[in-house]
Order: sequence, then C-alpha cells, then structure tokens
Amino acid sequence: MAHITINQYLQQVYEAIDNRDGAFCAELLSFKHPHVANPRLQLSSPEEKCQQVLEPPYDEMVAAHLRAFQSHKEENWALPLMFAVTLDLRIFANNAEQQLQKKGKGQPGEMMEKAAEQLMSCFRVCASDNRAGIEDSKKWGMMFLSNQLFKIYFKINKLHLCKPLIRAIDSSNLKNDYSPAQKVTYRYYVGRKAMFDSDFKPAEECLSYSFHHCHRSSQKNKRMILIYLLPVKMLLGHMPTPQLLKKYDLMQFSDVTKAVSEGNLLLLHNALTKHETFFIRCGIFLILEKLKIITYRNLFKKVYLLLKTHQLPLDAFLVALNMMQVEDVDVDEVQCILANLIYMGHIKGYISHQHQKLVVSKQNPFPPLSSVS
Amino acid sequence: MNRRKGPRRTSHTQRQGDPAGERRWKNQNQWQDQGSALVKEAQETVQKGTCQTMCPAREMQERESQNRLHHFEMLAGTEGHRKPRADPSRIVKEYSRPAAGKDSTNPSDLRPPAVLLKTVCYLIDDIAAAPALQPWSEVYSFVFDRLRGVKQDMIIQRVSGTECVAILERMVRFLIYASYRLCGEPLRLYDPKINETHLQENLSWLLDCYASGTGPHTNQDEFQALGLLYNLGSPRAMQHIMELPEELRSSPAISLALSVNQAFLERNPVRLLRLAQKLNFLQSCALHRHLVTCRKDLLLIYSHGFSSRNCRFPLDKLCQVLALDWSLTTQLCQTYGVEIKDNHVVFTKTAFTDPEQGKLQCLQYHNIVEEKQKDLTVRSIIHGST
Repeated sequence: MAHITINQYLQQVYEAIDNRDGAFCAELLSFKHPHVANPRLQLSSPEEKCQQVLEPPYDEMVAAHLRAFQSHKEENWALPLMFAVTLDLRIFANNAEQQLQKKGKGQPGEMMEKAAEQLMSCFRVCASDNRAGIEDSKKWGMMFLSNQLFKIYFKINKLHLCKPLIRAIDSSNLKNDYSPAQKVTYRYYVGRKAMFDSDFKPAEECLSYSFHHCHRSSQKNKRMILIYLLPVKMLLGHMPTPQLLKKYDLMQFSDVTKAVSEGNLLLLHNALTKHETFFIRCGIFLILEKLKIITYRNLFKKVYLLLKTHQLPLDAFLVALNMMQVEDVDVDEVQCILANLIYMGHIKGYISHQHQKLVVSKQNPFPPLSSVS
Repeated sequence: MNRRKGPRRTSHTQRQGDPAGERRWKNQNQWQDQGSALVKEAQETVQKGTCQTMCPAREMQERESQNRLHHFEMLAGTEGHRKPRADPSRIVKEYSRPAAGKDSTNPSDLRPPAVLLKTVCYLIDDIAAAPALQPWSEVYSFVFDRLRGVKQDMIIQRVSGTECVAILERMVRFLIYASYRLCGEPLRLYDPKINETHLQENLSWLLDCYASGTGPHTNQDEFQALGLLYNLGSPRAMQHIMELPEELRSSPAISLALSVNQAFLERNPVRLLRLAQKLNFLQSCALHRHLVTCRKDLLLIYSHGFSSRNCRFPLDKLCQVLALDWSLTTQLCQTYGVEIKDNHVVFTKTAFTDPEQGKLQCLQYHNIVEEKQKDLTVRSIIHGST
C-alpha cells in the first residue's frame, strides 16, 4: 500500500466499486488506511486522473480524498473530526457486538477488537508526529484516543493492552496540558488499571485526582469514579462517611463500611453477598474481598482492647472468629492469619507457639492503617 | 441503458467517450443493495474437509517416500528397514506451519469434525495411555504435535459446537496432566512454557465456546474450575468466574476452586493447603505449580510471625501444615534458610532467603498430587468421567 502508483491505487478503487466491495472501498477512502502515507498519492490536482478511471460521483470523492492528504501533513485541525469519527466507531462497534450477541453469532469482543485496531493506528499516527510544532502537532489527539481505547479494553477485559498507551502518554511532554475533561477520564482509567494490578497507592492518587477535578455538575461521572475510589480508600484505612454515600447514592457500600470498621466478618460476608451482582458488574467484588484482612485486623484489635493485656491467648481470637460464624477455622489457621498480619505490619509482635499466645508490643501494637504499606 | 451484471470488461479509453454524468453508474436500487450488503455479515466460503482417515492419503505417501514417519506410525516389522512403511491405522496428520502460497485448504487434506474427534480418541487411548510406550516425554511430543494438527484443521474449517467442545476438553485435560507428569524434565525433552501457551490458548477457546454456544455443556463446571485453579490469583480469570451465572458458580467444583483462590488472595497458605486436599487428581495437577509459591509463602509469613529469640516451633506441626513428610520439610527449610534445632524450627525474620531460580525442585514436592492418582488410568483422566 505504501508503494503503489496513483494508477494502481485508482485501479483498486475502481475494482472495489465494480465488485461492490464496500468494506474495501471504505478503507481506500479512509484516513486510517496505510495508503495515506504513500507520497505517490499526494497530488495537488488529482481530478484529471480520477476522471479517467472512475465514474461520477466517485471521481470527485476520490479526488477530494487525495487532495486532502496534502493539507494534513503538518496540521492537526482535523483532530476534532477524528475524535467524532472514532467515538462513533466505538459506539457502532458496541452496538454491533450487542446485536451479534443476541443472535448468538461471532466471537465475543470481535467487533470491539476490530474497532480498537483502527483506533490504535490513529494513535500511532498521532504519537509519531514529530514534524509539526506543538500547536499543530497531532500529539494532541493522543489522550482522547487513549481514553477511547481504554473504554474498549476494559469492556473486552484485555487490560494489559492499556500499558503501552499509558507509557506513551507518560513520556510525552504534553501530558499535563490536555483539557481537564480528557485528563479526568484518563486518570480514571489509569486508576482503575492500577487497582486491577493491586497498586493501591497510585490507584488512590489517580482516582482522587479524577474525583476532585470532575466537574461538579457531572454527578453520574463522579459517582462512577467513587465506585472505584471507595474500595481503594477503604483498603488504606479511610472509611467513607454515611453522608457521602447518601449524596452519591452508593448505599451498597454502607454495610461494607460498617462491617470493616467494626471488624464484623459476618456483616461483611452478608453485605458482600447481598450486593454481589452490583459489585461484580462494577468489577470490584474481588477487591472488596481483600477488605477481609483489614476486618480481621480490626476484630483482633478489639480483642486486644477487651483483654487489656499484651499477651493474648490464641484461643481468644478463635472464639472471636467463631462468634462471627466464620466456618471451619482452627488454631492453625488463626496462627496463619495472625502471622500474615504481623508480616504485613498490621500487628507489632510475635506468636509464641509454646505458650499458644500472641505477644504484642507494648507500644502501638496496632499501627494506624494509613501508615502501613 | 442495460444494467451490467458482472465485472465490467470495457477499458478506460472506451468509456472516455461517455459524457460524464449521463450514464449513472448506479441507480437508486443498486445503492440500497450495496448498503444492505455492507450491513450483512460477510458470506465467506468455509472449507469443509472430506478426508476420512486420520492422515490424508497424499501426506501418507509423501512422508513414507521421504522417510519422515514417526516410529509410532510405522507398520510393524518395517521399523528397521531403510524405508519403513506407513501403517494407515496409526499414521496421523502432522502439524505443519502455514506458509504463504501453500495450498492448505484442499478439502481432501482436511478432516471433518467427526474424524477429528476419532483421531483425538486414538491419540489418547492408543498413544498417551499406552503403558508400553516409554519414555512418556516422547509420547507427549508426538501427541502434542498431532493434537496441534487437529486444532489447525478445526481452525481452517471454523469448527464449533459439540465436537469442538469435546475435542478441546480432551486437549485441555491432556495438557494439564502433562504439566504435572513431565514437571522437572530437562528442557530439551519438555518445555513447560510451550505447554502453558497452548494450554491457555485451548482453554480460552473452550471457554469462548461455552460462552457463545447454546449448550448444554455438561462439563462446563469442571473446566471453569480447572481454568481458575491453573490461573490462580489472575485478576482476569477471577473476573471471568465472577461473571458466570450464579447457578454455575455455586457448583461444587467452582465453589471449591473459588475457596482455594480466596485463600491464595488472603495469603493464607495453611488454609490453601488444607483445601487442596479436597481437590481431585486433575484439579491438583492444574494447581500444583502454585504450591511452590504457597509453601514458600508459609515459611516466609511464619518467619515473620513467629520471629522471636526463644522460638521453638515443633517440626511435626510444620510438617502437618505443609502437608509434607519430615525429610521433605527439613529439605524445604534448608532451601529457604530456615533453621532447625532438635526437631524444632527457629523462625527468625532475618533468616529467610529466597533461593536462586531453579534451585527449588517442584518435582520433589509432588506428593500431595501423587497420592490422588492411585488407581486412575491415564485414559480415564483425559477422557474425563463422561
């Protein structure tokens, strides 16, 4: 495609029209197809050639297409056009997916992947634009396209494909100068990706940024960000207030919050089961399960506060767990849970197997959650 | 004007005489036709195989004359000859890399789904499960390659549905079993990474079949569980399981796999090893490579949790939680720098060290899987209980 002559190109268009091959014809007239990189097709007056080979209205269409190459070499005014087209493409692909699914045809994710491929080639064109000055650079298109691609990758559950995009934007000198809206969306997805990779500190930073910079009037978006920000904050020991949950209609989290802060494993289990569908759909069910460790820590801290001694019998913890109706746990598992909490820094102390006791430090045996990891 | 029906044969110069605009290329109807054609799915012609034998005749003759038969495929009594003869009942189409210009879509070279299933059954019953064929690494290489050939035929013919599922299920079981049986073999005989790549691909395809097919899929719970156990802790595998319908998710196999996964996430190796005892043989094979991490974690966590000057943790107890005997436990402790003094373990957080790559042999710690094999035959393992 990058080496054919103008005649060969026109011949291909002609044949595509003749054979009613709409798909191929569209490619030949698309800016995303590799042929746009071909210098031999960049003619300032292609009309005559086109008329020789093609019938109206195709001759005019193709001539305009070829003329347009000239004007885009060092400009980026067409970026909004590209934004609109790519957005449409993603939405169409999504609809096509749903229709195919209803009929039970096609592989799941097929349409979205094809759309993603197209968007990726646009992204590459933008990212590799080193010629123009900053104002005219196509690099300004990078964040918008990344955001579109993130949406697709999250939908088809191929998150590892986000990595090269994030890397490209991180290394670009424009990364702080994109529009606020684009930055909010970008950070939202980067935050979610970090959550997925269990990098909770970076996840918290990104999602917090997103939440605070999201426009006040976009309640729906703020709510969406909060759905992911809340679990991350809870894992770092910060529980949301009931007022916050009420304001954004996220009462599903209220029982979870209560359970974790009280160390109530039973309530946690029930709360997660009750709203299972919601949590699974949002993709946060598994992260919420991680709150179990924090809940253990809170429960055991209560035991410590109740017994008022720094040499705690392991049996006490077993009793506490049994009261929470935690099934088939024995002393060995209790030791393991405690050992893990010590290893993670949630408890300062050691277990003495001979005395079957947890010996905690006399100073600050249960450090605040925010100071740990 | 006449409506043209086929591709035009008129040359450019001929048409140049036609005044532009008067003869319309397409009338309104033709525009709409093209529109709906764009919307409709591409009507591609898919090859349908006609070869009724495990190996196409052409290939059999070719390989026989070029002396490229595997000795499992040779006619008995001719193995020692300069040009051994092919045994038509034992020769199987080999995998060949698709090459540009190569005509791989000749119907007589392709085996239809029913024949493919028969081929897979032959490979399992007569090769993989044959106790006389040794060493098993060679059996594996042969079966692996021929299964790849089966998969290739499936892809070209776009096989889907019951036969596709039946074939893929057996392939996945075979590869999972192999990942355990050949664990620890030298790289030149068995490459665990290659096995893994193919296992993941086949598993992925199988799960897609379950998702897009109409069912019923009687073994689905088995394979969803195997997928999770093999990919323990993988966010993608976990999210996939969570999105399954509740009824399926609460099946015993998947529930158990989820519990094992949960124990892994919570970093509770004691619980994990305890739950692992409940797994069946094939499930244990799927899980077994994670047991290395699990046991290491246990020693690491205990090194911190029990770290004290007077630590005396009974070795017996450690054996019990690790599900290993005395000598293996001692060996494991040695590998990780954990000190043992008169039947007691002295855990100290500073002592634990992670050995260099490769020093730990997973193979030596296979007991937990081994004891489940008991009287299971290879045949029943790969065909499953159906």
